[in-house]
This record gives sequence, C-alpha cells and structure tokens, in this order.
Amino acid sequence: MRLSDIMSHAGLSTYAEVALVIFMIAFLLIAVGVFAPSRKREFDEASRMPLDDVHPQSPRQSRGDAS
Amino acid sequence: MNPQLESFRYDDAIVRKFLWATFIWGLIGMTVGLLIALQLAVPALNLDIPWLSFGRLRPLHTNAVIFAFAGNAFFTGAYYSSQRLLKTRMFSDALSAVHFWGWQLIIVLAALTLPLGFTQAKEYAELEWPIDILIAVVWVVFAINFFGTLAKRRERHLYVALWFYIASIVTVAILHIFNNLSVPAGPLKSYSIYAGVQDAFMQWWYGHNAVAFFLTTPFLGLMYYFLPKAADKPIFSYRLSILHFWTIVFLYIWAGPHHLHYTALPEWASTLGMIFSVMLWMPSWGGMINGLLTLRGAWRKVVEDPILKFYVVAITAYGMSTFEGPMLSVRSVNALAHYTDWIIAHVHTGALGWNGFLAFGMIYWLAPRLFQTKLHSQKMAELHFWLATFGIILYVTAIYSAGLTQGLMWRAYDATGRLEYPAFIETVMRLMPMYWLRVAGGSLYLTGMVLFGYNLFRTWKSRPAAYEEPVIQAAPLAGDYEELTAPRPAGALARFAQAAWHRTWERLPVTFTVMVAVAVIVASLFEIIPTFLIKSNVPTIASVKPYTPLELAGRDLYIREGCFNCHSQMIRPLRYETDRYGEYSKPGEFVYDHPFLWGSRRIGPDLAREGGKYPDLWHVRHMRHPKDIEAKSIMPGYPWMLTNQLDFDGIQRKVDAMVMLGVPYGDAVTDAPAMARAQAQAIAQSIASQGGPADLSDKEIVAMVAYLQRLGRDVSAPAAASAAGAP
Repeated sequence: MRLSDIMSHAGLSTYAEVALVIFMIAFLLIAVGVFAPSRKREFDEASRMPLDDVHPQSPRQSRGDAS
Repeated sequence: MNPQLESFRYDDAIVRKFLWATFIWGLIGMTVGLLIALQLAVPALNLDIPWLSFGRLRPLHTNAVIFAFAGNAFFTGAYYSSQRLLKTRMFSDALSAVHFWGWQLIIVLAALTLPLGFTQAKEYAELEWPIDILIAVVWVVFAINFFGTLAKRRERHLYVALWFYIASIVTVAILHIFNNLSVPAGPLKSYSIYAGVQDAFMQWWYGHNAVAFFLTTPFLGLMYYFLPKAADKPIFSYRLSILHFWTIVFLYIWAGPHHLHYTALPEWASTLGMIFSVMLWMPSWGGMINGLLTLRGAWRKVVEDPILKFYVVAITAYGMSTFEGPMLSVRSVNALAHYTDWIIAHVHTGALGWNGFLAFGMIYWLAPRLFQTKLHSQKMAELHFWLATFGIILYVTAIYSAGLTQGLMWRAYDATGRLEYPAFIETVMRLMPMYWLRVAGGSLYLTGMVLFGYNLFRTWKSRPAAYEEPVIQAAPLAGDYEELTAPRPAGALARFAQAAWHRTWERLPVTFTVMVAVAVIVASLFEIIPTFLIKSNVPTIASVKPYTPLELAGRDLYIREGCFNCHSQMIRPLRYETDRYGEYSKPGEFVYDHPFLWGSRRIGPDLAREGGKYPDLWHVRHMRHPKDIEAKSIMPGYPWMLTNQLDFDGIQRKVDAMVMLGVPYGDAVTDAPAMARAQAQAIAQSIASQGGPADLSDKEIVAMVAYLQRLGRDVSAPAAASAAGAP
C-alpha cells in the first residue's frame, strides 16, 4: 500500500473548495479590519512614511502620547 | 527631546552598485532579445554556431531580463527604500556585499551555461542544479539581511511596500526550491524529480508565480514607495493598498494551471487556475487605480516631469497586462491564444511597460540623489520616454496581430471541411512583416536604453569628489512598548472591528511573514496534493514504456538545443489540433518524462506525434539544414550534430539517474551503453540504406533521430510489444 493509494481513497478532491471558503473568510476578516473607521488616523500616518527620510513616523510612543 | 537618540547613516553605496548592475544587465538582456527577434526574421543569423542558435539564446534573454534586469532593479529600490522606511542602515554591509556579488556571479554563470546548452528545460528555471543551489544560498543571504534590517528598525509600523518585499522574498524561496528539485546526472545535468503532468503542474505553479512574486509584487512595493516620492504626496488610499496586498497574496498562488488549458492536466485543476485568475482582476485594477489616483491634482507635473510620465505608463501597462492575463486564462480565449505570439505580446506589455518603465522612472529619480548632482539631461530622459513608448506600441501591436493571425489560421477550415492551411509553414510566413515590426519596436526600446545609460554615465561623471553621508538621528524602538489605544470596547464585534489583531500582525515582522508563508503554502498544497496523490488524475497506459538509452540521450540533445522553445509536445483535444497533428495527448503518455517537454509556444509545429511520420534520412537532412526540406523554414540548422561524437559511456549515468527516479529500466540498468550502440548501428544502417551519409552510428544525430522517431508512438503500440527493449 503506497501513500498514493491512501490519498486516493481519502476523498481529498473537494479540498480545493474547502480552501476557497477558508480564503474567502480570511479575506472578509481582513477587509473588515482594514476599513474599520477607528484606523483612519493610523493609516494617514502610515501613508506619509515614504515622504520623510529622517523622522520616524510611527515611533516608540503610541499614537496616544505622540501628538 | 528624547535623550536617547541614536546616530546612523544610510548605505547608498550598495544602492549605486545595484543601479549600475540593473542598467548593464538590462542592456545585455535586451540586446540578446533583439538578436533573437532578428533570428526569427532572418534565420541565417543563427550562423550555424551552436551557442548563437535561437533555442539556446532565448532562455538567456528571458533569464537576463527577468532575474538580472528586473531582479537588480528590485534590489536597487528595496535597498534604498527599506533603509529609509525603517530608519536604519541595512543589517549587515557584509551580507549586502555577498548578496550583490553573489547575484552578479549567478548571472554570469547563467550567461555562460545557457548558450553552452546546460539547461533543465523548464521555462525561467533553466539553470542547472549547482547554480540553483547558489541562487538559494544568495537568496537566503538577502533574506537574512532584509529581516535583520526589519528587526533593528526604528519605525513601529511596517509600510505596505515592505509587506510586498516580504511576500516576494518568502514566496520566491519556496517556488525556487520546489520547482528545482532534481536528481543530478553529472556536474551540469539533472532530471526533475517530477514527471510529465506533475512536472508541468509544478513548473507552471512556479512559472506563473515567478511572474507574480518576482515581477509583480516586488515592483508593486517599489511603486508604493517611489510613486509617492516622485509625486511628493502619499498614496491615494493606504487602505486599498493593504487590500491589494492580501488579495494578491491569496489569489496569485492559485493561478498557475491556466497555462495548461486543454493539455493533459486534469480539467478541475485548470478550471481552478482560471477562476482565481479572473478574480485577480479586482486587486490588480484596485492597485492600478490606487496608483493613478495618487497623481490626482498633480497632472501638471506629469506634463513636465519624465519620471512621472514613466510611472503613468508603467501603471497603465500593469493595468493592461493584468486585464489581459485573466482574459487569456479563460479557457475559450486561451484555446485561440495558447502557443501563439499573443502570449509573447502579453508578457512584453508587462515586462517592457510595467517592469521596464517602473525601473526607468525609479532610476531617473534615484540617480541625482545617489550621485548627489543634477540629472545630466532632462531632455534626454524625455526622449528616452518617447522612444521607449513608441517602441512598446510598435512591438506589441505587431505581435498581437501575429498571435491572432496565427491562432486563426491554425483553426481555419475551408468549405469542404478540411484545414485551410494544412502546411504549418504557411502560418509562419504570414508573420514575417510582424516580425520585422517587432525588430523595429525592439530597436527603438533599445535605443532608449542606450540614451538612458549615457545619461546615467554623464550624471555619474559630475558627482562630487566624495559623497556626503548625512548622519540621521532617531530614537530606538522601545522594547517595553505597549499597545495604548482607546478603551477596550464592550462586545466582541466592536472589539473585532477595532482590528487590533491586524495591527499587531503589521508590527510583528515574524508573525506577518509566517502569515504570508501560510497563505502561500496552504494554497499551493491544496492545489498540488490532489494532482500528485490521487491516482485517477493520471491514468496509466500499459503500452507506454521508458525511453531506450539511445532515445534518452537524444532527448537530452533535444533539451540541450532548446527545441522546446519552438516546438510543443502537447496536442490539445480540439478538432483542428487532432486534424493537424494526430491523436490528442493523454496524461499517461508522459509518466517517464523527466522533465516534461510540452513547451509553451509553437514557432514550429507540434512534435507530440512526430515519431514515424518521416524516414530517418528526412530527419538527418532536416536537422543539418532545414531549408533543404522546407525552403521557407525559419528553423536554425544543427550541422554539428552530424559531426559531434555521441558520448555513449555517459548514457549509463543518465539511465542510473532515471532509475533513481523510479523509471523501470530493466536490462538497461547495467547495460545502457551497449544497448545504445546496438540501436545506433541499426539507425545508422537505415540512414545509409535510404541514401544518406554512411557511418553516422557514433554521431549525436542518431540519438536525436531515435528520440524523434519514438515520439508519440507508444500510445498506439500494442501493450505486449515492449518498445523499451527494442534494438
């Protein structure tokens, strides 16, 4: 009995669809997280990161006491 | 202010090195491209010199522009932007140097071995096993250097460009290692551990993701950094860029099988590849729109600034080729386009437009900053832009029409129900005007490249005596950092919506990298495991036997000369294919094919059922000088095969490697050279008796003839008559 015999009988052919569902759920979770209104300020800050070569934009202080 | 400020300098010397490497290899890779374009229009330019023939130079062109030009461009931008986005110097100057020189060494080795005929015969993975190991080592060096830099950063948040770099580094390593697994059969010869359908599946899982994670994600990272720099404003939507990132990582990895529609690959796999490819429309266009909208309100600057012009065309080309890619992945469109020049036009929209123009824009922006002077000539950059733009337009329109023309001619039937163009050569000759237009377009693009180099050189000449290296001061990241956010909201949904989990990922490079790797690996396994382990996907055919030792040697010559660059060995189950070439190809026919040689382009006709179509002497004359058989043929001659001695004793090593891979070789396990000699004698006699040259029995050509005459015959042979043992 070889590994391929075991796998052949394990009925794995639906796994692609299972993965599709898992990935869809992961995508929805990320989309919800990314568009959470509470993160607007953080993202605005992050988007300015390339423009300053010298000063860290999101340094050690949290956003609460950085400003 | 903070008393604990640390001082450091950015390492720009390494960026300057990568910048020059980008230009030099780009010039060489594109020059080889122009040469092979000319060879298709004027076959005499193959010059009957082995290392200058099309089949050996075409992989050199693709490898040079992908891994040398685009690769070095990515490293240039990554080394420049990572240091600045992380507010730190690279982790180790020594590793940077090893990465730089190691990569250039790999390219030099590629430029030497490919024209000499050392190849694994898998597209964009042609390099033989010692070089593959070197690539893996250098890539790991780069990874250590990059992740080390992440670890000592002084920014909490990782900017999205860095995510794209991380995904590229992780995925390229996985792809490279798994597609190149092989059993060596000599210092520069190896056989893929996968056979036939499975090898094809791995190859296009790799091949498509090489496009995704070597030419797309790294360059998207560069776009997200250098476009805001040049436009002097942040990216249009940072949120969209995050979504762009995750969708690309989730979807791209599945898309590979769309390269294998209507082949012997199980249909469910290519359908899966097609669906994911179509879904890729969304993130790709989201990314394009994000890039273009960044320039909103800055269009006046686009008029004046050649750098922004390069970016606009690059992003537009990204949008066009990522629109076209999913369209080509739809099975019915693919039936027309596959094996034609359409695919060549598609990749050149991407490579010349997206990768080339993004690299040019980036380097024009970098050069004055790195050489600390003004760009020598703004006007020359402008001229470069227009020459290259017209070059692309000329190239792709010509080659699109070539692809459509040939695709339509292959499937055309006349009123009596017969193929309208049964002679393949007719469909080749019709392309000649388009091939000349491609030469013209390529020349324009290359002329732009020369101007680019001159402009860079003059800029470099006016550099200061010593480069300034400004000292940067920034505070280190504190280890005791704690997440201080708004008070923890009540209710699971509200807490979830606050998305602290995603924020935490973004700040932890290791966790983040693991997440990316998991996404990529899970997708790959879900797609690959069924193909490999479910037997019903590759039904066996009892009459299919291993190649004889001589045929195996001939197959290696077929690989050495790069025949698979122009000839497919895969007849699709479509009426116009079976009418032209014969019975369609079945998965079980390829179980001993290490590596598979299905090919991806028909510059010449398919060879899957070539065996027995013509007498042995026909093949000898055709290989020596194809025009003797077909006056209009654009195939190069291979006269050296009639004079080169065949290495009979080396055949045993080939057979041994095949046996290690599980190919049932029977007597040949101990007696391969003698068996090969016997078969060679018989073929040489048949050639002589047909009126051909005598005493060819120890020349390479007999092995080649043996292989070509074997192609595609097993499936119709009665199961009892073993071809393997035949003399």
